[in-house]
Amino acid sequence: MKRSSYIVLGVVSAIFVLSWVMKSMSLSEVDDSIMQGFLLTVSAFLTLSIFSFLYKDNPFYKFAEHLFVGVSAAFWMCQGFWSTLVGNLIPRVSESLSGFFMVPYQPGSFNFHYWIPVILGLLLLMRLAPKGGWLSRWPLAFIVGTTAGLNFIKYLRSDFIDQVSSTFVPLLGDETNKWTGVGDFFSNLSLSADSQFVALLANWVIFVGVFSGLVYFFFSKEHKGVFGVGSRVGIWILMITFGASFGYTVMGRISLLVGRLTFLFRDWLGLIS
Amino acid sequence: MKYMLRVLFSLVLFATTAVLAQTDVVESDSTTVVTEQTPAPVSMFEAKDKDNDHGHAFVLNWELSADDGAGLDNVLTYEVFRWTPNISDSIGIIDTLLNVAIVDNGPLNQTTATDAEQRIDSLMTAFLGPLANASAQEKGARLHELRAAYVERLAEVHSAYPANGYWRKIKVVPFGTTSCEDVGGKEPENSGYIPDFTDYYYRVDAVTADTLVRAESKIAGPVQSSGQWFNTGRVPVLCFVIIFTILTLYFVQAAKKGTDLYVRPLGGIEAVDDAIGRATEMGKPILYVLGLGSAADVATIASFTILGRVAKKVAEYQTELIVPTYDPIVMSVAQEVVKSAYYDAGRPDSYNEDTVFFVTQSQFAYVAAVNGIMLRDLPATNIYMGKFYAESLILAETGALAGSIQISGTDEIAQIPFFIVACDYTLIGEELYAASAYLGREPVLLGSLKAQDYAKAAIIILAIIGLIAGNLDWTGFTGLFEVTN
Amino acid sequence: MKRQIPYALVFLFGLFMVFQYFVPHESSEWAYEFLLDWIMIIGIFALALGIWSLFHLSVEKIRARKEGHGYSYITLAGLFVMIAFGFTARHGESWGFYLVWVFTYLMTIMLAARTLAASNEPGKRNMFMVATLGFLVATIAIAIFDDSWSFYFYTSEGLENSMWRRFFDFVMMPILSTMFSLLAFFIASAAYRAFRARNVLATLLLVAALIVMLRFNPWFPQMAGLSNWLMNVPNLAAQRAIVIGIGLGIVATALKVILGIERGYMGKG
Repeated sequence: MKRSSYIVLGVVSAIFVLSWVMKSMSLSEVDDSIMQGFLLTVSAFLTLSIFSFLYKDNPFYKFAEHLFVGVSAAFWMCQGFWSTLVGNLIPRVSESLSGFFMVPYQPGSFNFHYWIPVILGLLLLMRLAPKGGWLSRWPLAFIVGTTAGLNFIKYLRSDFIDQVSSTFVPLLGDETNKWTGVGDFFSNLSLSADSQFVALLANWVIFVGVFSGLVYFFFSKEHKGVFGVGSRVGIWILMITFGASFGYTVMGRISLLVGRLTFLFRDWLGLIS
Repeated sequence: MKYMLRVLFSLVLFATTAVLAQTDVVESDSTTVVTEQTPAPVSMFEAKDKDNDHGHAFVLNWELSADDGAGLDNVLTYEVFRWTPNISDSIGIIDTLLNVAIVDNGPLNQTTATDAEQRIDSLMTAFLGPLANASAQEKGARLHELRAAYVERLAEVHSAYPANGYWRKIKVVPFGTTSCEDVGGKEPENSGYIPDFTDYYYRVDAVTADTLVRAESKIAGPVQSSGQWFNTGRVPVLCFVIIFTILTLYFVQAAKKGTDLYVRPLGGIEAVDDAIGRATEMGKPILYVLGLGSAADVATIASFTILGRVAKKVAEYQTELIVPTYDPIVMSVAQEVVKSAYYDAGRPDSYNEDTVFFVTQSQFAYVAAVNGIMLRDLPATNIYMGKFYAESLILAETGALAGSIQISGTDEIAQIPFFIVACDYTLIGEELYAASAYLGREPVLLGSLKAQDYAKAAIIILAIIGLIAGNLDWTGFTGLFEVTN
Repeated sequence: MKRQIPYALVFLFGLFMVFQYFVPHESSEWAYEFLLDWIMIIGIFALALGIWSLFHLSVEKIRARKEGHGYSYITLAGLFVMIAFGFTARHGESWGFYLVWVFTYLMTIMLAARTLAASNEPGKRNMFMVATLGFLVATIAIAIFDDSWSFYFYTSEGLENSMWRRFFDFVMMPILSTMFSLLAFFIASAAYRAFRARNVLATLLLVAALIVMLRFNPWFPQMAGLSNWLMNVPNLAAQRAIVIGIGLGIVATALKVILGIERGYMGKG
């Protein structure tokens, strides 16, 4: 390590200790104030370590990153173990294990089938064995097959049939805005939100938008001529949509930052109340 | 005025339905000043097994009382009654003992807390007498036993109608209603369990503002519930399944026979090959991110195919490939894919088991790690294909700042804008699924792409017909697309 | 054979899932729920693979003395300390020798990793192995003789170790929310990037983004109406086109998978 690195490390350590002492003192009315002071300081240290990434990659970010990876991997593993294995599987396959893990045993005449995923799970672990790794394809095939069937039907209905039927919009006015002829249409022309013109315009834009969007996603024809015009309109509308969606998200993201800054300035430094 | 009174009454009755349903004692309303005349009962009352379901449910239909909206116009509600054997009440009490009585401390068969035990004790003494001194665990087991025995006898006691039972109010619906459903639980453990193939009897009363003044319908029953083997409400979906399968198979066959299938070029796909070449020239690795999807997501499956193509090219060029994964099953599949690609490229020796590795199953820890890889290993190319959520922008921006060429593709609509802004090429939605066919240029996969295009053409045509139909109020056509249930 | 059985499994289960959608009968529902349970349970076994991969990769980094391999120890420490917290709990008021145990346990893991990483250098390897065994004995001894805590687990409402909660609240959560909040900076730099791109498509995107971003501003009240219109009309249309496309893509891919036309996921294109 370079000398400057030692200096930075020393300064950070000093600030850490200082924060720990100050925080513990300010929390003196709490039971375990020294522990709380330590934990809050750790939180703040990790928060700042991650923020330091914005400047450039550095040892503090690397430390927080590696710690986070390890801790979170274990966290999800333990969660999975307790909720799925102990919570879901063991009560159904073994009375003695249920007793050991203190979960209520749930006997059932069909429960023998729960051994199948156990066997498939063990087959999956065969990957680690020097021979027989090919057996691990079976559980993978089971998962892929089942979910492919599930998704096939699910999306056929929700993303296809339901969407197609909702594209049947009335282009010449609906119940609230009955088409009563060209003369009436022009004499009542207005830009107010509930006017016939605005309602019809919306329906036309939706129709043209869906239509040209689909043309854009056509793969078997070159985008030339009429087709080219259609796909061009399609990509324009897509871009407007993406822009709108982008703009819509900005505010939400900024509020996340405000949340973190609040932690630093209120909970840790106590500068704002 | 009378209408307002009816509406007001309906509202009050709606709000108290749940309470009322617990008891069949009919109370008189002391505030009613108008003396009501007995209305006409409902007619054509019938109870049927509910269609297209898994059983355990009935549909009740009737025609309005002659005094609902006409005649005396004094019917406010219809009260639906089900003949209930006394044994069902015992089951209800057991359920209460097992679940509701000690709701603060969790169900009886899981709790060990002493105060919960005391509370159960007082309830149990009355019910179980001799077991008063047993442990909560034992009492729970005894109650479960008793309940199972009662449930087993349900069919038998129902067939003894009308002995040992009573009419229990199960629903109150407002005037003008001509049908309702009685949907029970399917598991014997459910408190509202309705066993299949068991005789049920129903009655519906037309009730006036004075709840004592009412007209009973004739009794419908016996009726039995059962599950169906085909859901007729889903016929439109079945039609589409068949049409789409035939289309796909047809084009795949055509492709196999050698029919030339034109597919227009796609920017992002052409870029993949260039990007691999660039990485090789620079001597830098290629980072392939499969996203946060599981192997269950079709986007991830499409991404596997693309990974296979990329890995094969990478193996040919002898470039380094880095594939950090979020899901261990995805990791397993990806290892399989990359390994096969190296074998196919004739370079099994170059395959390194650590090319594909697991990071963590936590969204932002995964992002932190991938960010680290981007800044430390400086990949020449980052490819993001699959399912992405909020992390898409963090990844793509970090990659852009690190100066990598970036190619992305996702079907998460909300994330596409961020990829478009921060990546050099983005496959939008369906293009991700088309990409695998493109990269391989295999006739079979291209064939299915044709089927997709025909489906789209069909949609456009259907949409136009639908528009005309919609504008001409021709509901028969739009009805074709209605999937019920 | 090695590949035929998996493809047959894919076909059978895929076909079953398609059929069960049309069969409302209870038995079909039951089978459906069973299968979903199975997938979940297999997923837990897969986690073991994941943890192994993480451990293995860390050891490899240490072995290869890759730049920054020291951080691999931090990953391993975080991983195994959290696993320890997830499987142990206190009995009474005091923790006894728990912290000493955590230390010896972690040392055992670290030294074991170091031993594995030194498999090519017999001298070093033996030294580390002896040290590992020493700590292992200490770890086991404390676990046996210390009665104040144990491998006790009860989790209908979550894990009962206060250390576990603290690590979650004060280590995982701050890093997680800070990573998430980085999005605010990245969205700003992304907006700047879009601003610099000079073509029709990027301009359309940027203009639409600006209109929607300015929807709450007090100076141009028209923006609110315009942004509403953008969100409800062109946005709806394009979303629908994309959704139909994606739906078709998913349906076609899933069908190809079931029929065995698309085999890329098993390493065959």
